[in-house]
Amino acid sequence: MTSLPVPTGGDRPPLPADLPAIGPVPDLRLRRPVRTQLEGGTRTTIVAHATVPRLELRLAVPAGSAHASVPGSAELLSHTLLAGTRVRDGATLAQDLQMIGADLHVSQDGDVLVLSGSVLSEHEQELYELVAEVVTGPAFPADELQLERGRIAEQLRMARAAPHFPAQEVARAAVYGPHPYGAATPTESQIRRCGAAAIRSLHRATFGARAAQLTVVGDVDPRRTARRLSRAFAAWDGRRGSWRLPPVHHRPAAGITLVDRPEAVQTVCIVAAGAPPVGHPDHLPLLLATAILGGGGPSRLMLNIRERHGYTYNPFAMTDSHLGDTLLLAGADVRCEVTGPALTEILYELGRLATGEVTAAELEGAQRYLAGTRVIAVQTQAGVAGSLASAALHGQDHRYLETFARRVRAVTARDVRAVAARYLAPRSVHVILVGPAERIAREVAPLGVVTVRRSGARRGRPPG
Amino acid sequence: MAVSSRRRPPASDPTPAVPVRSVAIEEHRLPNGLRVVLSSEPGSAVVALGVYYRVGFRLEPKGRTGFAHLFEHLMFQGSRHLGKMAHFQVVHDAGGVLNGYTRYDYTAYFEVLPASALAAACYLEADRMAGLDLTPANLRNQVDVVEEEVRLNVLNQPYGGFSWLFLPQHAFQRFANAHNAYGEFEDLESATVEDASEFFTSHYAPGNATLVVVGGFDPSEALATVTQHFGAIPARPVPPPPATDEPLPTRRRVVRHEDPMAPVPRLGVGYRMATFGSPAHLPLTLAADILTDGRGSRLDERLVRGEGVCLDVTAGPNFPIGDAFDTGDPSLWTLEATRRPEVPTPRVLELIDEELERLGREGPSRPELRRAQRSWLAQHWAQVDSPRGRMDRLGTLTAVHGDPHLLNLIPGQIAAVTEEQVADSVRTWLRPERSTVLDWVPPGPKRRPG
Repeated sequence: MTSLPVPTGGDRPPLPADLPAIGPVPDLRLRRPVRTQLEGGTRTTIVAHATVPRLELRLAVPAGSAHASVPGSAELLSHTLLAGTRVRDGATLAQDLQMIGADLHVSQDGDVLVLSGSVLSEHEQELYELVAEVVTGPAFPADELQLERGRIAEQLRMARAAPHFPAQEVARAAVYGPHPYGAATPTESQIRRCGAAAIRSLHRATFGARAAQLTVVGDVDPRRTARRLSRAFAAWDGRRGSWRLPPVHHRPAAGITLVDRPEAVQTVCIVAAGAPPVGHPDHLPLLLATAILGGGGPSRLMLNIRERHGYTYNPFAMTDSHLGDTLLLAGADVRCEVTGPALTEILYELGRLATGEVTAAELEGAQRYLAGTRVIAVQTQAGVAGSLASAALHGQDHRYLETFARRVRAVTARDVRAVAARYLAPRSVHVILVGPAERIAREVAPLGVVTVRRSGARRGRPPG
Repeated sequence: MAVSSRRRPPASDPTPAVPVRSVAIEEHRLPNGLRVVLSSEPGSAVVALGVYYRVGFRLEPKGRTGFAHLFEHLMFQGSRHLGKMAHFQVVHDAGGVLNGYTRYDYTAYFEVLPASALAAACYLEADRMAGLDLTPANLRNQVDVVEEEVRLNVLNQPYGGFSWLFLPQHAFQRFANAHNAYGEFEDLESATVEDASEFFTSHYAPGNATLVVVGGFDPSEALATVTQHFGAIPARPVPPPPATDEPLPTRRRVVRHEDPMAPVPRLGVGYRMATFGSPAHLPLTLAADILTDGRGSRLDERLVRGEGVCLDVTAGPNFPIGDAFDTGDPSLWTLEATRRPEVPTPRVLELIDEELERLGREGPSRPELRRAQRSWLAQHWAQVDSPRGRMDRLGTLTAVHGDPHLLNLIPGQIAAVTEEQVADSVRTWLRPERSTVLDWVPPGPKRRPG
């Protein structure tokens, strides 16, 4: 196909002279947070944001899977935390929450378990009491544990059948090796074997008031909310829980790992690399590098493999921030027959970022994009709560959010190229492909040493 | 209920009254027919701007399946004064985000960006409403991109297109409602620039569109800006709505769909949904929560807990790609469940039928109905808190149902729904003979690879 008149990312398309001017990205300003410590030691941030008559709550504890010694226990804990308390069974808890217009759910990753809640503001106190009841006295009833074991096992079978699941799992194992961040998702048999004792023990070890971080944002009076939280969480104590994890050592790149998925009609192409965590001087340049490479809008990957070549629908580059480091991921899903050319272009774009020029316009566009999307995020109660909770996890507060744009603007094109060369060079990234090995292994062989793995090797059997 | 309360619920307020704050809404119409809806939020640093065209899957002619969505992609390929990718570039460099999406009855294009970019966003949207710069090369490129989108979301995934893409193909008979909305590849590949020009001329007239602006602006200044950019686009005839009426089904159809990548069976059940604005519409919306909103809901307690025949169950109007307010007639009230492999489909259907029949006969209890109403209200506030969420509600209520002010009326109507209305609506609409079942199964043992 002849090449299309598509810009490459450095050269910007000409814009009409009568396009109305656009001002600078506005500063990110939050209402002054009230920061307090509950009696048990929980660091708490409260922000009045009364756009609608409700509020959002985030409670983070170090019960992520990397803190769990028994595989599967963190997953089971997060799935059964709301299955009942000392005084209320799971159905009653769910119904009592609905009656006050509240929603409460649990998410968990390697680092952290987060309880996310919301409620109509007239029932603020009731939500706090229910959350306190959940964190201090979960019942982990035997029948619910048994039910959830079966459900998680089946959900895992369903998830594993999707092509991105092995891609992510292999990428993490490649970058982190034996570190808990590199641990595979628990197998079905690990989930089925995980006993109540392991879950209770993980709860005891991680749900301490001292380590917990609490954020409340919404239609609240912060001083009164602080009092209400103190009252609700008065019985929660304990020094239990530490956010400390073993130091991360990133493993050197080792060619191309090809996960065989014979029935696939697309190849998942991912490049992965490890980088330092939030707060490190390289972090902001890396945010810009991934934005320029594939972070939304007219990124280099978008212009190249989608808008010029039509190889893919979903080119991307992103950072996944952990407490101990940042995982860099980029790639696309491409039809099998263009796997070789598509991977060539992805690696070319990595090389161009590491060795070529980032123009002033391109850098400024990415700086404005990063600043603007954070301003957009804090327009909602949920967005403010999520942004503050995530900053708190990295030891940062509202000032981190408010000064973010200024610090991003201080990054130079030279800084971006330097971090791209350090972390995202073609020779230092792990390449993971998921697709039909028979069709694509030879095609990509010129680009690196190919190791083929069978997909579904650990796929479990149906129950019964 | 299967589960008894061991302690009094913390809030057992029995009064049906719910506090309803209203959202600021202004509605205008330009002489060329463009509807303009403004919802100003003084002090907000951003604006969300969306254009909702009254054209969706249902308008695709035979031989052009998937065209509404393909055309959505072409709207980003260049317009009168903007080259390919220029639209993306302007929004991105302003610090904003954009996207487009196609549904049964509308196609939406939106930007969320810093408030100072409102005039520029109007320029971008008006420029492509005035005319596109379509080339065969750009068309071919986007056919490739759309085919990769279909591979990504349907062909290369377990449960790809479950249930939204396939259930309507069996639940409806008329081509407008029942064709493959993502498009057959041969149809996508045979599309021409002339087809696209014709589609644009017929369906992208200003009189067939609604512009919604939400966020930080002064309404009279915003209206002047909107008029300056969109006012000069000439009026064009607006096409009549497509014929979509369908007879109600009179017996349950069960369609088996084998998915070579699926490890576990699932079940989609589509019941014909009552028309928006008719007496049964909001009661059926609440019935979905009463039946499947998490622990303590009727089907969760019966199918997942009590009988243990399913791993999960979820339902809602136009679930999972739409909601109660964004689709015209006909539409489906859809239930999705993950069936335990050892339990036969008829057993699961029998239990669903029993629970729906019981809700239709007895109605919900007072607390059951209150819980559903409060959950609905809380979700309503979460949606309107977001500039984009508010824009979307206003856009679909106006483009599909003709009135943005419905946004402020519906909360009161939800609060006024009675137990009897829920019972009557479920009894009338959620009947086995009005449903279509998509029995989604892993490959048979003989065909299992390896």
